[in-house]
Amino acid sequence: MRRGFYRMRLNCCSDNKFFSSSTPLTPIPLPSPKETHLWYVIPSEVKGESLLNKYMEILSPCEKENVLSMRGDELWKSALLARTLVRTTIARYQINSSISPRSLKFRKSIHGKPEVDWQQGDHCEPPPLHFNISHTSSLVACGVTVNSPIGVDVETKQRTVKHNVLTLARRYFCDPELEVLNAIKDPYLQHQEFMKLWTLKEAYVKALGRGFSGAPFKTFRIRFGSAIGVSSHLSRTSSAEASEISVDLLDDSSDLTCNWQFMLLELAGSHYAAICTEKDVTNEGNREVPMKLRVWKTIPFVEDRCVSGTEAVRILCGSR
Amino acid sequence: MAARIALLKYLRVEARPAQLRNPRLIGGSFSQLFKRQFSEEVRGSFLDKDEVRDRVINCVKNFQKVDPAKVVPNAHFQNDLGLDSLDTVEIVMALEEEFGFEIPDNEADKINSINLAVDFIASHPQAK
Repeated sequence: MRRGFYRMRLNCCSDNKFFSSSTPLTPIPLPSPKETHLWYVIPSEVKGESLLNKYMEILSPCEKENVLSMRGDELWKSALLARTLVRTTIARYQINSSISPRSLKFRKSIHGKPEVDWQQGDHCEPPPLHFNISHTSSLVACGVTVNSPIGVDVETKQRTVKHNVLTLARRYFCDPELEVLNAIKDPYLQHQEFMKLWTLKEAYVKALGRGFSGAPFKTFRIRFGSAIGVSSHLSRTSSAEASEISVDLLDDSSDLTCNWQFMLLELAGSHYAAICTEKDVTNEGNREVPMKLRVWKTIPFVEDRCVSGTEAVRILCGSR
Repeated sequence: MAARIALLKYLRVEARPAQLRNPRLIGGSFSQLFKRQFSEEVRGSFLDKDEVRDRVINCVKNFQKVDPAKVVPNAHFQNDLGLDSLDTVEIVMALEEEFGFEIPDNEADKINSINLAVDFIASHPQAK
Protein backbone atom coordinates (compact mmCIF):
# COMPACT_ATOMS: atom_id res chain seq x y z
CA MET A 1 0.00 0.00 0.00
CA ARG A 2 2.78 2.35 0.97
CA ARG A 3 4.70 1.36 -2.14
CA GLY A 4 1.75 2.16 -4.36
CA PHE A 5 1.36 5.55 -2.76
CA TYR A 6 5.04 6.28 -3.23
CA ARG A 7 4.80 5.32 -6.85
CA MET A 8 1.76 7.54 -7.31
CA ARG A 9 3.57 10.50 -5.79
CA LEU A 10 6.53 9.84 -8.01
CA ASN A 11 4.21 9.94 -11.03
CA CYS A 12 2.91 13.35 -10.13
CA CYS A 13 6.22 14.90 -9.27
CA SER A 14 8.54 13.40 -11.84
CA ASP A 15 9.12 14.51 -15.37
CA ASN A 16 5.85 13.70 -17.09
CA LYS A 17 7.40 13.29 -20.48
CA PHE A 18 7.40 9.52 -20.38
CA PHE A 19 4.74 8.57 -17.88
CA SER A 20 1.76 10.74 -18.63
CA SER A 21 2.39 10.72 -22.34
CA SER A 22 3.19 7.01 -22.43
CA THR A 23 0.96 5.32 -24.91
CA PRO A 24 -0.64 1.97 -24.33
CA LEU A 25 0.61 -0.71 -26.67
CA THR A 26 -0.89 -0.49 -30.13
CA PRO A 27 -2.89 -3.68 -30.66
CA ILE A 28 -1.95 -5.54 -33.82
CA PRO A 29 -3.62 -8.50 -35.52
CA LEU A 30 -1.62 -11.72 -35.56
CA PRO A 31 0.53 -12.22 -38.65
CA SER A 32 -1.08 -14.41 -41.31
CA PRO A 33 0.67 -17.76 -41.95
CA LYS A 34 2.48 -16.16 -44.90
CA GLU A 35 3.65 -13.17 -42.93
CA THR A 36 6.52 -12.39 -40.61
CA HIS A 37 6.52 -9.46 -38.24
CA LEU A 38 9.75 -7.91 -37.05
CA TRP A 39 9.94 -5.41 -34.22
CA TYR A 40 13.13 -3.62 -33.26
CA VAL A 41 14.36 -1.08 -30.75
CA ILE A 42 17.54 1.00 -30.74
CA PRO A 43 18.89 1.09 -27.16
CA SER A 44 20.59 4.46 -27.54
CA GLU A 45 17.20 6.02 -28.31
CA VAL A 46 15.66 4.73 -25.10
CA LYS A 47 16.31 7.29 -22.42
CA GLY A 48 15.05 8.22 -19.03
CA GLU A 49 15.26 6.41 -15.74
CA SER A 50 11.49 6.43 -15.32
CA LEU A 51 10.99 4.65 -18.63
CA LEU A 52 13.64 2.06 -17.83
CA ASN A 53 12.01 1.54 -14.43
CA LYS A 54 8.68 1.01 -16.15
CA TYR A 55 10.30 -1.67 -18.28
CA MET A 56 11.78 -3.34 -15.20
CA GLU A 57 8.30 -3.55 -13.73
CA ILE A 58 6.97 -5.80 -16.48
CA LEU A 59 9.76 -8.36 -16.12
CA SER A 60 9.39 -11.51 -14.08
CA PRO A 61 11.44 -11.71 -10.85
CA CYS A 62 13.79 -14.16 -12.53
CA GLU A 63 14.32 -11.90 -15.55
CA LYS A 64 14.90 -8.91 -13.28
CA GLU A 65 17.53 -10.79 -11.36
CA ASN A 66 19.22 -11.85 -14.58
CA VAL A 67 19.23 -8.31 -15.98
CA LEU A 68 20.57 -6.85 -12.73
CA SER A 69 23.35 -9.43 -12.64
CA MET A 70 24.77 -8.14 -15.92
CA ARG A 71 27.87 -6.07 -15.46
CA GLY A 72 28.12 -3.03 -17.68
CA ASP A 73 25.56 -0.42 -18.69
CA GLU A 74 25.26 -1.46 -22.31
CA LEU A 75 24.81 -5.11 -21.44
CA TRP A 76 22.28 -4.40 -18.75
CA LYS A 77 20.28 -2.10 -21.00
CA SER A 78 20.16 -4.39 -24.01
CA ALA A 79 19.20 -7.33 -21.75
CA LEU A 80 16.38 -5.25 -20.25
CA LEU A 81 15.22 -4.13 -23.68
CA ALA A 82 15.30 -7.68 -25.03
CA ARG A 83 12.88 -8.88 -22.36
CA THR A 84 10.78 -5.72 -22.65
CA LEU A 85 10.58 -6.06 -26.40
CA VAL A 86 9.46 -9.67 -26.36
CA ARG A 87 6.86 -9.10 -23.64
CA THR A 88 5.37 -5.95 -25.12
CA THR A 89 5.42 -7.35 -28.66
CA ILE A 90 3.56 -10.54 -27.82
CA ALA A 91 1.06 -8.67 -25.66
CA ARG A 92 0.13 -6.50 -28.64
CA TYR A 93 -1.43 -9.45 -30.40
CA GLN A 94 -4.29 -9.37 -27.92
CA ILE A 95 -4.61 -13.12 -27.74
CA ASN A 96 -7.11 -12.63 -24.97
CA SER A 97 -7.98 -9.87 -22.55
CA SER A 98 -6.10 -11.39 -19.66
CA ILE A 99 -2.71 -11.09 -21.34
CA SER A 100 -0.52 -8.14 -20.48
CA PRO A 101 3.24 -7.72 -20.91
CA ARG A 102 3.74 -8.59 -17.27
CA SER A 103 1.43 -11.59 -17.15
CA LEU A 104 3.18 -13.52 -19.94
CA LYS A 105 5.11 -16.57 -18.87
CA PHE A 106 7.97 -18.18 -20.74
CA ARG A 107 9.66 -21.54 -20.72
CA LYS A 108 12.30 -23.35 -22.74
CA SER A 109 11.61 -26.15 -25.19
CA ILE A 110 13.37 -29.47 -24.58
CA HIS A 111 16.19 -28.18 -26.75
CA GLY A 112 16.47 -24.94 -24.81
CA LYS A 113 14.67 -22.57 -27.18
CA PRO A 114 12.57 -19.94 -25.38
CA GLU A 115 8.83 -20.09 -26.03
CA VAL A 116 5.63 -18.71 -24.52
CA ASP A 117 4.12 -20.77 -21.73
CA TRP A 118 0.47 -20.05 -22.42
CA GLN A 119 -1.60 -20.24 -19.26
CA GLN A 120 -4.89 -22.08 -19.13
CA GLY A 121 -7.30 -19.42 -20.35
CA ASP A 122 -11.02 -19.96 -20.45
CA HIS A 123 -12.05 -21.54 -23.76
CA CYS A 124 -8.80 -20.47 -25.38
CA GLU A 125 -6.58 -22.66 -27.46
CA PRO A 126 -3.00 -21.53 -27.16
CA PRO A 127 -2.27 -19.58 -30.34
CA PRO A 128 0.39 -20.99 -32.64
CA LEU A 129 2.55 -17.89 -32.13
CA HIS A 130 6.32 -18.25 -32.45
CA PHE A 131 8.95 -15.67 -31.67
CA ASN A 132 12.71 -15.27 -31.60
CA ILE A 133 14.91 -12.45 -30.30
CA SER A 134 18.35 -11.30 -31.22
CA HIS A 135 20.30 -8.49 -29.69
CA THR A 136 23.47 -6.53 -30.06
CA SER A 137 24.29 -3.58 -27.83
CA SER A 138 23.04 -1.27 -30.57
CA LEU A 139 19.86 -3.00 -31.78
CA VAL A 140 17.38 -5.47 -30.30
CA ALA A 141 14.96 -7.31 -32.60
CA CYS A 142 12.04 -9.67 -32.13
CA GLY A 143 10.49 -11.67 -34.95
CA VAL A 144 6.96 -13.10 -34.75
CA THR A 145 5.24 -15.72 -36.88
CA VAL A 146 2.20 -17.93 -36.72
CA ASN A 147 2.43 -21.66 -37.42
CA SER A 148 6.12 -21.58 -38.23
CA PRO A 149 9.29 -21.70 -36.17
CA ILE A 150 11.36 -18.57 -36.61
CA GLY A 151 15.01 -17.66 -36.16
CA VAL A 152 16.31 -14.08 -36.16
CA ASP A 153 19.88 -12.87 -36.00
CA VAL A 154 21.15 -9.30 -36.09
CA GLU A 155 24.74 -8.13 -36.32
CA THR A 156 26.37 -4.74 -36.77
CA LYS A 157 27.51 -4.40 -40.36
CA GLN A 158 30.82 -2.90 -39.37
CA ARG A 159 31.52 -5.37 -36.66
CA THR A 160 35.19 -6.29 -36.42
CA VAL A 161 36.48 -9.77 -35.89
CA LYS A 162 39.80 -10.74 -34.32
CA HIS A 163 40.61 -13.48 -36.81
CA ASN A 164 40.84 -13.19 -40.54
CA VAL A 165 37.40 -14.02 -41.99
CA LEU A 166 38.84 -16.79 -44.13
CA THR A 167 40.34 -18.39 -41.02
CA LEU A 168 36.94 -18.24 -39.35
CA ALA A 169 35.26 -19.60 -42.46
CA ARG A 170 37.81 -22.41 -42.77
CA ARG A 171 37.12 -23.45 -39.21
CA TYR A 172 33.34 -22.99 -39.07
CA PHE A 173 31.81 -22.82 -42.53
CA CYS A 174 31.52 -25.60 -45.08
CA ASP A 175 33.83 -25.80 -48.11
CA PRO A 176 31.46 -24.33 -50.71
CA GLU A 177 30.90 -21.28 -48.51
CA LEU A 178 34.62 -20.89 -47.96
CA GLU A 179 35.10 -21.03 -51.72
CA VAL A 180 32.59 -18.25 -52.24
CA LEU A 181 34.38 -16.06 -49.69
CA ASN A 182 37.80 -16.91 -51.06
CA ALA A 183 36.72 -15.76 -54.51
CA ILE A 184 36.03 -12.24 -53.24
CA LYS A 185 39.20 -10.19 -53.54
CA ASP A 186 38.06 -6.96 -51.95
CA PRO A 187 38.57 -7.38 -48.16
CA TYR A 188 35.70 -5.02 -47.35
CA LEU A 189 33.24 -6.95 -49.52
CA GLN A 190 34.65 -10.22 -48.23
CA HIS A 191 34.02 -9.09 -44.66
CA GLN A 192 30.48 -8.03 -45.51
CA GLU A 193 29.76 -11.35 -47.21
CA PHE A 194 31.09 -13.20 -44.17
CA MET A 195 28.77 -11.24 -41.87
CA LYS A 196 25.80 -11.93 -44.13
CA LEU A 197 26.54 -15.65 -44.18
CA TRP A 198 27.07 -15.66 -40.44
CA THR A 199 23.71 -14.02 -39.67
CA LEU A 200 21.91 -16.35 -42.08
CA LYS A 201 23.50 -19.42 -40.54
CA GLU A 202 22.70 -18.19 -37.04
CA ALA A 203 19.10 -17.50 -38.03
CA TYR A 204 18.75 -21.05 -39.38
CA VAL A 205 20.18 -22.63 -36.23
CA LYS A 206 17.91 -20.48 -34.09
CA ALA A 207 14.87 -21.41 -36.18
CA LEU A 208 15.72 -25.09 -35.70
CA GLY A 209 15.94 -24.38 -31.99
CA ARG A 210 18.55 -26.97 -31.16
CA GLY A 211 21.44 -24.65 -30.32
CA PHE A 212 24.81 -24.27 -32.00
CA SER A 213 25.87 -27.79 -31.09
CA GLY A 214 22.60 -29.22 -32.43
CA ALA A 215 23.28 -27.93 -35.92
CA PRO A 216 27.00 -27.21 -36.29
CA PHE A 217 27.69 -24.62 -38.97
CA LYS A 218 29.81 -27.00 -41.01
CA THR A 219 26.91 -29.38 -41.53
CA PHE A 220 24.85 -27.10 -43.74
CA ARG A 221 25.38 -24.72 -46.60
CA ILE A 222 23.66 -21.41 -47.25
CA ARG A 223 23.32 -20.78 -50.92
CA PHE A 224 22.33 -17.67 -52.84
CA GLY A 225 20.90 -18.19 -56.25
CA SER A 226 18.03 -17.77 -58.64
CA ALA A 227 15.50 -20.51 -59.19
CA ILE A 228 17.70 -22.10 -61.85
CA GLY A 229 20.30 -22.81 -59.18
CA VAL A 230 23.11 -20.51 -60.19
CA SER A 231 25.26 -19.85 -57.17
CA SER A 232 26.62 -16.41 -56.74
CA HIS A 233 27.38 -14.13 -53.88
CA LEU A 234 25.31 -11.08 -53.25
CA SER A 235 27.73 -8.47 -54.50
CA ARG A 236 27.71 -9.95 -57.96
CA THR A 237 23.99 -10.48 -58.20
CA SER A 238 22.35 -7.62 -60.00
CA SER A 239 18.82 -8.37 -58.98
CA ALA A 240 19.55 -9.10 -55.36
CA GLU A 241 15.99 -8.72 -54.23
CA ALA A 242 14.81 -11.48 -56.48
CA SER A 243 17.61 -13.76 -55.46
CA GLU A 244 16.66 -16.65 -53.26
CA ILE A 245 18.48 -17.95 -50.26
CA SER A 246 18.34 -21.64 -49.55
CA VAL A 247 19.96 -24.14 -47.24
CA ASP A 248 21.39 -27.55 -48.07
CA LEU A 249 22.28 -30.16 -45.51
CA LEU A 250 25.68 -31.73 -45.96
CA ASP A 251 25.13 -34.78 -43.80
CA ASP A 252 22.67 -37.64 -44.10
CA SER A 253 20.04 -36.23 -41.83
CA SER A 254 16.40 -36.46 -42.76
CA ASP A 255 15.62 -32.79 -42.12
CA LEU A 256 13.66 -31.23 -44.93
CA THR A 257 15.77 -28.26 -45.80
CA CYS A 258 13.61 -27.23 -48.74
CA ASN A 259 11.03 -26.17 -46.18
CA TRP A 260 13.10 -23.24 -44.94
CA GLN A 261 13.05 -19.75 -46.37
CA PHE A 262 15.26 -16.81 -45.57
CA MET A 263 15.33 -13.09 -45.79
CA LEU A 264 18.33 -10.84 -45.36
CA LEU A 265 17.81 -7.17 -44.52
CA GLU A 266 19.78 -4.11 -43.75
CA LEU A 267 18.16 -2.40 -40.76
CA ALA A 268 18.55 1.26 -39.85
CA GLY A 269 21.50 1.46 -42.24
CA SER A 270 23.74 -0.13 -39.66
CA HIS A 271 22.78 -3.76 -39.10
CA TYR A 272 22.26 -6.95 -40.99
CA ALA A 273 19.20 -8.91 -39.95
CA ALA A 274 18.56 -12.45 -41.12
CA ILE A 275 15.20 -14.14 -40.70
CA CYS A 276 14.55 -17.81 -41.22
CA THR A 277 11.06 -19.36 -41.21
CA GLU A 278 9.32 -22.37 -42.62
CA LYS A 279 7.62 -22.00 -45.95
CA ASP A 280 3.88 -21.99 -46.02
CA VAL A 281 2.82 -24.53 -48.62
CA THR A 282 -0.76 -24.88 -47.48
CA ASN A 283 -3.50 -23.69 -49.80
CA GLU A 284 -2.83 -22.57 -53.34
CA GLY A 285 -1.99 -26.17 -54.29
CA ASN A 286 1.65 -26.36 -53.25
CA ARG A 287 2.60 -23.10 -54.90
CA GLU A 288 5.12 -21.48 -52.63
CA VAL A 289 4.23 -18.01 -51.52
CA PRO A 290 7.15 -15.73 -50.73
CA MET A 291 7.53 -14.47 -47.16
CA LYS A 292 5.79 -11.17 -46.56
CA LEU A 293 7.52 -9.00 -44.05
CA ARG A 294 6.30 -6.12 -41.93
CA VAL A 295 8.73 -4.20 -39.77
CA TRP A 296 8.12 -1.82 -36.90
CA LYS A 297 10.57 0.35 -35.07
CA THR A 298 9.46 0.81 -31.50
CA ILE A 299 10.17 2.39 -28.14
CA PRO A 300 7.67 0.39 -26.05
CA PHE A 301 5.00 2.57 -24.42
CA VAL A 302 6.38 5.62 -26.22
CA GLU A 303 6.11 5.23 -29.96
CA ASP A 304 5.73 2.67 -32.73
CA ARG A 305 6.45 3.28 -36.35
CA CYS A 306 5.83 0.92 -39.23
CA VAL A 307 9.03 1.20 -41.27
CA SER A 308 8.45 -1.41 -43.97
CA GLY A 309 9.16 0.07 -47.36
CA THR A 310 11.19 2.94 -45.90
CA GLU A 311 14.92 3.63 -45.86
CA ALA A 312 15.17 1.93 -42.50
CA VAL A 313 14.53 -1.48 -44.03
CA ARG A 314 16.44 -2.54 -47.10
CA ILE A 315 15.73 -6.05 -48.30
CA LEU A 316 19.05 -7.39 -49.54
CA CYS A 317 18.03 -10.87 -50.47
CA GLY A 318 15.21 -13.32 -50.15
CA SER A 319 11.49 -13.18 -50.64
CA ARG A 320 9.71 -9.92 -50.71
CA MET B 1 49.25 -52.09 -17.63
CA ALA B 2 51.24 -51.69 -20.81
CA ALA B 3 52.26 -48.23 -19.70
CA ARG B 4 53.49 -49.61 -16.39
CA ILE B 5 55.58 -52.27 -18.09
CA ALA B 6 56.98 -49.72 -20.52
CA LEU B 7 57.79 -47.41 -17.68
CA LEU B 8 59.52 -50.06 -15.64
CA LYS B 9 61.53 -51.11 -18.67
CA TYR B 10 62.53 -47.52 -19.19
CA LEU B 11 63.48 -46.94 -15.59
CA ARG B 12 65.49 -50.12 -15.44
CA VAL B 13 67.43 -49.31 -18.56
CA GLU B 14 67.87 -45.57 -18.64
CA ALA B 15 66.99 -43.82 -15.44
CA ARG B 16 70.14 -44.66 -13.46
CA PRO B 17 72.66 -43.73 -16.18
CA ALA B 18 70.71 -40.51 -16.87
CA GLN B 19 70.86 -39.60 -13.22
CA LEU B 20 74.64 -40.15 -13.11
CA ARG B 21 75.37 -38.38 -16.37
CA ASN B 22 73.09 -35.42 -15.95
CA PRO B 23 73.96 -33.43 -12.85
CA ARG B 24 70.70 -31.47 -13.19
CA LEU B 25 68.62 -34.53 -12.54
CA ILE B 26 70.49 -35.62 -9.44
CA GLY B 27 69.15 -32.59 -7.61
CA GLY B 28 65.61 -32.99 -8.95
CA SER B 29 63.06 -35.11 -7.17
CA PHE B 30 62.23 -38.56 -8.46
CA SER B 31 58.64 -37.53 -9.12
CA GLN B 32 59.81 -34.70 -11.38
CA LEU B 33 61.90 -37.10 -13.46
CA PHE B 34 58.98 -39.50 -13.54
CA LYS B 35 56.53 -36.83 -14.68
CA ARG B 36 58.75 -35.28 -17.33
CA GLN B 37 59.81 -38.50 -19.00
CA PHE B 38 56.40 -40.05 -18.68
CA SER B 39 54.64 -37.32 -20.61
CA GLU B 40 57.08 -37.58 -23.45
CA GLU B 41 56.75 -41.32 -23.72
CA VAL B 42 53.04 -41.65 -23.31
CA ARG B 43 50.91 -39.06 -25.12
CA GLY B 44 47.72 -38.15 -23.28
CA SER B 45 48.75 -36.53 -20.07
CA PHE B 46 46.60 -33.86 -18.58
CA LEU B 47 47.62 -30.30 -17.96
CA ASP B 48 47.62 -28.84 -14.49
CA LYS B 49 44.35 -27.03 -13.86
CA ASP B 50 45.87 -23.90 -12.37
CA GLU B 51 48.17 -23.56 -15.34
CA VAL B 52 45.22 -24.01 -17.69
CA ARG B 53 43.25 -21.37 -15.81
CA ASP B 54 46.06 -18.83 -16.10
CA ARG B 55 46.48 -19.49 -19.80
CA VAL B 56 42.73 -19.32 -20.47
CA ILE B 57 42.41 -16.06 -18.55
CA ASN B 58 45.33 -14.58 -20.45
CA CYS B 59 43.86 -15.69 -23.75
CA VAL B 60 40.49 -14.11 -23.00
CA LYS B 61 42.07 -10.92 -21.67
CA ASN B 62 43.85 -10.50 -24.98
CA PHE B 63 40.52 -10.39 -26.75
CA GLN B 64 40.06 -6.75 -27.70
CA LYS B 65 36.35 -6.57 -26.97
CA VAL B 66 36.82 -7.70 -23.42
CA ASP B 67 37.46 -5.51 -20.39
CA PRO B 68 40.44 -7.29 -18.76
CA ALA B 69 39.25 -6.27 -15.29
CA LYS B 70 36.14 -8.42 -15.74
CA VAL B 71 38.03 -11.57 -16.66
CA VAL B 72 37.79 -13.57 -13.47
CA PRO B 73 37.55 -17.37 -13.12
CA ASN B 74 33.76 -17.44 -12.83
CA ALA B 75 33.15 -14.91 -15.62
CA HIS B 76 30.37 -15.90 -18.01
CA PHE B 77 31.13 -14.98 -21.62
CA GLN B 78 27.69 -13.59 -22.42
CA ASN B 79 26.44 -12.22 -19.11
CA ASP B 80 29.66 -10.85 -17.65
CA LEU B 81 31.89 -10.18 -20.62
CA GLY B 82 29.16 -9.12 -23.04
CA LEU B 83 30.22 -11.54 -25.78
CA ASP B 84 27.81 -12.80 -28.41
CA SER B 85 27.90 -16.02 -30.42
CA LEU B 86 30.47 -14.79 -32.94
CA ASP B 87 32.74 -13.58 -30.14
CA THR B 88 32.39 -16.88 -28.31
CA VAL B 89 33.36 -18.74 -31.46
CA GLU B 90 36.44 -16.52 -31.77
CA ILE B 91 37.39 -17.19 -28.17
CA VAL B 92 37.06 -20.91 -28.78
CA MET B 93 39.38 -20.53 -31.78
CA ALA B 94 41.87 -18.55 -29.69
CA LEU B 95 41.81 -21.32 -27.07
CA GLU B 96 42.34 -23.93 -29.76
CA GLU B 97 45.39 -21.99 -30.97
CA GLU B 98 46.69 -21.63 -27.43
CA PHE B 99 46.26 -25.26 -26.44
CA GLY B 100 46.93 -26.87 -29.79
CA PHE B 101 43.85 -29.02 -30.21
CA GLU B 102 40.45 -28.72 -31.84
CA ILE B 103 37.35 -28.29 -29.71
CA PRO B 104 34.47 -30.11 -31.41
CA ASP B 105 31.55 -27.87 -32.44
CA ASN B 106 29.10 -29.89 -30.43
CA GLU B 107 31.13 -29.21 -27.29
CA ALA B 108 31.91 -25.57 -28.09
CA ASP B 109 28.32 -24.62 -27.30
CA LYS B 110 28.79 -25.59 -23.70
CA ILE B 111 31.95 -23.59 -23.16
CA ASN B 112 30.44 -20.28 -22.19
CA SER B 113 32.38 -19.33 -19.11
CA ILE B 114 36.04 -19.26 -18.05
CA ASN B 115 35.52 -22.09 -15.57
CA LEU B 116 33.79 -24.30 -18.12
CA ALA B 117 36.61 -23.68 -20.59
CA VAL B 118 39.19 -24.55 -17.92
CA ASP B 119 37.35 -27.74 -16.93
CA PHE B 120 37.04 -28.85 -20.54
CA ILE B 121 40.66 -28.18 -21.45
CA ALA B 122 42.12 -29.62 -18.26
CA SER B 123 40.20 -32.84 -18.82
CA HIS B 124 41.27 -33.16 -22.43
CA PRO B 125 44.42 -35.23 -22.96
CA GLN B 126 45.19 -33.59 -26.32
CA ALA B 127 45.65 -30.15 -24.77
CA LYS B 128 49.27 -29.02 -24.88
